[in-house]
Amino acid sequence: MIQSSPTATGRQPLYAYLLAALVMIGLSYGLPLLLPGDYIEAVYGSSHVVLDAEQEAQLRDELGDREGFTAYLWGLVTLDWGHSLALQTPVFRLVLAALPWTLLLLGTAHLLALALGFIAGVEAAWRRGGRLEKAGVGGATILQGVPEIGSGAPLLLLFAYHLGWFPAGGATTAYAELSGGPWLLDLLHHLALPLLTLVLAYLPGNFLLTRAGMVMILGSNYLETARAKGLPPLRVRYVHAARNALLPVLTRFGLRLAFMVTGALVVETIFAYPGLGTLLFTAIGSRDLPVIQAVVLLAALLILAINLGLALLHRRLDPRIGHAL
Amino acid sequence: MAPQQLKMPDKTKKNTMKTEIKQLTVTYRENDHQLLALDRVDLQLLPGRITALVGESGSGKTTLGKALLGLLPPAATVDGQILLGEDEITALDETARNRLRWRRAAMVPQNGAAALNPAYRLLDQVAEPLRRQPGVKRREAEEHALAVLLELGLAREQARRYPHERSGGQLQRGLLAMALILDPPLLILDEPTAALDSLSKNHLAQLFRRLAARQKSLLLITHDLALTRQIADQAAVIYLGRIMEYLPAAQLDRARHPYTVALYRSFPGMDAVRDLGGIRGDAFYRLLHAHPAAGTKMACGVAEAGEPGHNHQHLVTPTSNHPEEHEPPGTNKDGHAPADGCLFAPRCTQAEEACRREAPPLNRPRGLEADQPALDQDQEHQLRCRRGGIIDLLCCRGISKSYGPLTALHPVDLELRAGEVCCLVGESGSGKTTLAMLAAGALEPDRGEVRFAGRKLAAWRHRDPLGLATGIGIIHQQPAEAVSHRFTVFEIVAEPLRIQRPDLDAAALEQRVLTSLAEVRLATQPDFLRRYPHQLNLGAIQRLCLARALIQRPRRTGGRRAHQRLGSQRPGQGAQVAAGITD
Amino acid sequence: MPSELNHTRNATGPGSRPGAGVHGAQRAPARDPWLTSGLLLLLLLAGLGLLGPLLTPHAPHDMSFMPLSPPSAQHWLGVNDGGMDIFSELVHSLRNTLLFGLLAGVCGLLLGAAGGLAAAWYGGWLDQLLMRLADIILALPAILVLILLAAFFRLDPAWLALTLAALTWPNSAKVIRAQALSLKNRLHLQVARQMGASGGYLLRRHLLPELFPLYLVTLAAKIRMAVFMEASLAFLGLFDPARKSLGMMISYALKYYYLEIWPYWLLPPIICLTLLIMGTTFLAVSLEKFFDPRLREW
Repeated sequence: MIQSSPTATGRQPLYAYLLAALVMIGLSYGLPLLLPGDYIEAVYGSSHVVLDAEQEAQLRDELGDREGFTAYLWGLVTLDWGHSLALQTPVFRLVLAALPWTLLLLGTAHLLALALGFIAGVEAAWRRGGRLEKAGVGGATILQGVPEIGSGAPLLLLFAYHLGWFPAGGATTAYAELSGGPWLLDLLHHLALPLLTLVLAYLPGNFLLTRAGMVMILGSNYLETARAKGLPPLRVRYVHAARNALLPVLTRFGLRLAFMVTGALVVETIFAYPGLGTLLFTAIGSRDLPVIQAVVLLAALLILAINLGLALLHRRLDPRIGHAL
Repeated sequence: MAPQQLKMPDKTKKNTMKTEIKQLTVTYRENDHQLLALDRVDLQLLPGRITALVGESGSGKTTLGKALLGLLPPAATVDGQILLGEDEITALDETARNRLRWRRAAMVPQNGAAALNPAYRLLDQVAEPLRRQPGVKRREAEEHALAVLLELGLAREQARRYPHERSGGQLQRGLLAMALILDPPLLILDEPTAALDSLSKNHLAQLFRRLAARQKSLLLITHDLALTRQIADQAAVIYLGRIMEYLPAAQLDRARHPYTVALYRSFPGMDAVRDLGGIRGDAFYRLLHAHPAAGTKMACGVAEAGEPGHNHQHLVTPTSNHPEEHEPPGTNKDGHAPADGCLFAPRCTQAEEACRREAPPLNRPRGLEADQPALDQDQEHQLRCRRGGIIDLLCCRGISKSYGPLTALHPVDLELRAGEVCCLVGESGSGKTTLAMLAAGALEPDRGEVRFAGRKLAAWRHRDPLGLATGIGIIHQQPAEAVSHRFTVFEIVAEPLRIQRPDLDAAALEQRVLTSLAEVRLATQPDFLRRYPHQLNLGAIQRLCLARALIQRPRRTGGRRAHQRLGSQRPGQGAQVAAGITD
Repeated sequence: MPSELNHTRNATGPGSRPGAGVHGAQRAPARDPWLTSGLLLLLLLAGLGLLGPLLTPHAPHDMSFMPLSPPSAQHWLGVNDGGMDIFSELVHSLRNTLLFGLLAGVCGLLLGAAGGLAAAWYGGWLDQLLMRLADIILALPAILVLILLAAFFRLDPAWLALTLAALTWPNSAKVIRAQALSLKNRLHLQVARQMGASGGYLLRRHLLPELFPLYLVTLAAKIRMAVFMEASLAFLGLFDPARKSLGMMISYALKYYYLEIWPYWLLPPIICLTLLIMGTTFLAVSLEKFFDPRLREW
């Protein structure tokens, strides 16, 4: 689960992702049906917001044809994802507003963690046996044991509340009307703490896995061939060795993506970053089921799509799999 | 396949170079000890010559190949010099060394599939060194690589495949093309034909000869003596990091050193009549300053030798976790070989006490003494053996035997060198037993003469029957009758020593008996030692006889049908220690 | 245990030099500092969770104290906004988190071992079915399914733990299946089969016990993940607010960061949670090193 899984689970067949997507859609459609009462009652009845008769009639009018599965699917495709009662907005609009922030935060976090962890892992393996490498491995193993809550909350308290260096919430300064360079700086200023928390959470795993893979590769015959060929050391290290250490790291990334989403939700919530996680958090707080449903389904489909893309990329990167297909 | 000229980057310039290895010593540091991989090796690699470096795995062959490219790991300490032309690679820093690699010397690594990066096409990897050269365009490099690959019989579309899609023979040729891409004057071939079928093997062998004809120096690292004899000019036989014999490859069948002879014979099909001579025991490793870590066993053959500059040296077998099986036959009862001896002595079939004391130098063998006119390079022969190479142990000249009118044996010549196993095959009554008894000195021949270790047997037998018995042991045809039914196992095996060495104390006697029993893989538990022959099966009695014969440490065991019965259970062992007579 | 681990790792790697196998002493698991520190941490926390209630006289749900009072001899970590003793809250949270982790971990392992062994032993359509199912479940993002279930049905924590187990078994099932397959063909199993041993006997006496180290690795990794999930779900407010848990404590305490008592309220659950996950991580990392030779440090 932590590191070794790629050995056994790296080769997911492609159809599994499609079937998993169907399961998620099915769950999203089917679970409300299991609640007592009809759809409206089930989805909106247990909400903390109390419907008055007029609203209920309006909803029944709107959603009267949403009972069948095909109708539900059609609703998904046409972006008719229901209505948040707590926030009095169509769910799609809420999700659309939150999604870019989540993509920005998670995208940069993963890119940074991958790049830094990978390079650090390659260099550590190259200097194996050294004091720096040992410290790196020890530090990374310890960091791996720190959950996002454990690092995020202290970071928030220290840098946002106590020292005041970074804002304690939001993605931009509200009503600042900034543009251009200052806007970007403001954006990064808000991004810094949640980003740091996530990178701290993702980097150690990438580092350790890269290093372990590299140590294996450094002892391989083909690396000795590359060295014997008189190639420049950087080329030997990256073009010949690291290239082959990249595959397990990518595999792990795909496998752990769903798991890592958990931490991302928490981090967004801690730093009140206006992404899907915070949206979900508030929706859970007010039991706004249509929003929860939509966020979960969207996140799941995104994860599955990314995994599918990774599987295809993996087949391109590793000729041994690509041609075996 | 007609020899074609290989296309090279610069065909006009003859790219030749002399490589000299002088007093090369390599040690590997490991946790708590050092491993001596090469020990004062001298070797010259000349243009147009294929020099074979021959030895078992672990003998230091590959270390030498890597040292030539400056590829030894940081844990290795290198003493001595390697000169690639004018450049001393051992004295250069890493950057300068990297500039020489593949331009001066290129390597065809062992194990084709693993030596290629799985992520890149064959062509990319072959062309890569050329593409790194300044001013070479990608297209040019690829075209040239394709041309070289084509010369070696790999077509364009095969070159564009990934390594896992090609066969071992094709990969090996790809690796050779990769080594040739910069037209280096020295090629190091590390087991180039291991795991190849004979067709690919022959193809490669021809290629190597063609390369030598183009005035390249080739270093062939191998344990394949057939290949060595087929294509090499010189052979250097290396054992535990020391060169034991250096000889023209064509003379491998006339090698002098017991190690070379045994290596040569251990190749089935090389010399069908005499191919049973194995080498006793496992190869050792040489550890320096070894202090066994707590919990690890070093109950193996340990020799302490006063190598110059080293205080302690230990010979360790690779599988020392089974100490009872790896008591090297040449060691004394403490498991220590006397200091300072020949490295091969613990496994040598003709080692004497003096061999374990004196380290022999590398000299020309007898008959090729230094006073002879300077030899042609091709004929140079050197040997590291105190006894001047393998000795003739038994020499029968025209011996015959008649019993009255009945001729049991017509005049026969028979020679047996140290470590050899000779099988006499024939029907009953054909004279096998007579010959064996004559050879063992149990019978007197009518005519002819038997010499054992250079001494006339007849005279020896009269003057010193006991001394002769320590040299020749006999295992008899009917084992059950060859042992006394009143004796216990211990007494049976101890008998020869009781007879010959009354001076031995009880502890030493027991030690020798146990060692001997272990050598034939019999039990050594006390209750087995107390058993009587009738409680044993025939196979066990056969082994018991063998153990009894071995306990005298004879130089030759004359056995009658002994290994036939043994052979069904332990062919290798039976063959190694016995000289069998069989129908 | 070391003897059982022996055949799953190579004594010497392919690249190791001759002689390395002679003296390259293999570090015994017991001497691995990660293992010892992981075990120590877990023992400490488990002890706190088990014995903690004896140390404090206050019930976790007793709301009769002065809200937001600082630590005192009466209330070691002070009182929270709802007038509850924070120390007793912490101890009960720890206990709940540990129980959730154990339940999800053990059930996941049981399912995984059953699935993996059945697939390996019976092969054929059962193997196909189980492994295809495993592929699909592996692709499902477990946390999202849990959120959906928890949000819709306000499931009991025990049910959530079981659901988590149901969603994470395929991982271990695949690893266990692969090991069991290689074990199935070993000589001593063939010998036992020739002696007429039944399938049940072989499973019980050979396969199950021989894979023991693998179970430990799996269990440690699963508990780690379950604890992490529980804390996150609780932090997001998906559990019954009356159920004490570390994630929920952190979530509430974060709202009162401006008060003087936050270090006593916020830091203890954070530290407990971090140490808990650290302990399981160390355990998993250490056990994996001995199980998977590729991850061993040379």
